[in-house]
Amino acid sequence: MLGIRLFLIGILASAVVGAGVYVMKLRSDNAILKANAIKLESAVAEQQELITQQKEDFKDILAANQKMNELVGVLKKDLEDLDKRFNKKNRDVGKLAIAKPDAIQRITNKGSANATRCIEIASGSPLTEEEKNATLKSQINSECPSIANPNYVPYQN
Amino acid sequence: MYHIKTKDKTYRLAWIIAVPLMLCLLLSGCSGVKTLEIFKKEVEREKLNLNKPTPLELENLKWIIINSKNAEEVFKKLEESGIDPVLWGLTDKDFELLAKNFARIRNQLKITNDLLDKYKEYYEGDLEKENEK
Repeated sequence: MLGIRLFLIGILASAVVGAGVYVMKLRSDNAILKANAIKLESAVAEQQELITQQKEDFKDILAANQKMNELVGVLKKDLEDLDKRFNKKNRDVGKLAIAKPDAIQRITNKGSANATRCIEIASGSPLTEEEKNATLKSQINSECPSIANPNYVPYQN
Repeated sequence: MYHIKTKDKTYRLAWIIAVPLMLCLLLSGCSGVKTLEIFKKEVEREKLNLNKPTPLELENLKWIIINSKNAEEVFKKLEESGIDPVLWGLTDKDFELLAKNFARIRNQLKITNDLLDKYKEYYEGDLEKENEK
């Protein structure tokens, strides 16, 4: 009889202790889950921030690409303009130099000085106020107006 | 006889303690929630901050146009000015090619320079804004 009683007491005690421990464990799990939820929420917020940053980066990359393409375009046009200056309306610079050597010498030297300045600008030399403010064809550096005279708008022929 | 009874009681007591403990372990041992660990280790790369090359400062050179008609006059002028009467010559076509070659070099220089600025701006922040600060 004593054995059975002790056995029952044991089972009861174990049930009570087990339930108590289980409840404590549940509470501790709950606390951990709450902490996890907070961490997940902050992780999601960080991911959102990252995605926004990536979108901004893509915008910057596209803008930089566009600017570079525009630059390549205007520089190509400068080169085409140079070609036109030599061959416009079947112009022969050689024959002109025979007929008017002094005039061609003057034009060549002016063009050479302009081209030299263009190389300086291309290598990073800052623009002068005169170059920045040039808006008329007579004021510009005709060798590279796209990089030397940012305020000059070419006339449409 | 007394010893045997005491031994039995000790065994029972041991069972009484052991059974609840085992049950507790059974109830809570296998399942559990682990603390979530988020590893975050971001080390920003040091900025390169190399100075841009100094812009070029070029010398202006003087072109002299010489043809069969003015050759004598040109050489005479050179002698009068104390310059050796000798010239390096280019035909009109070669002069055109030289001008175009220089324009291409200039364009390439500009593109490379701007490209460098864009990379610097992208990876090291806006240069103008930083300079203002």
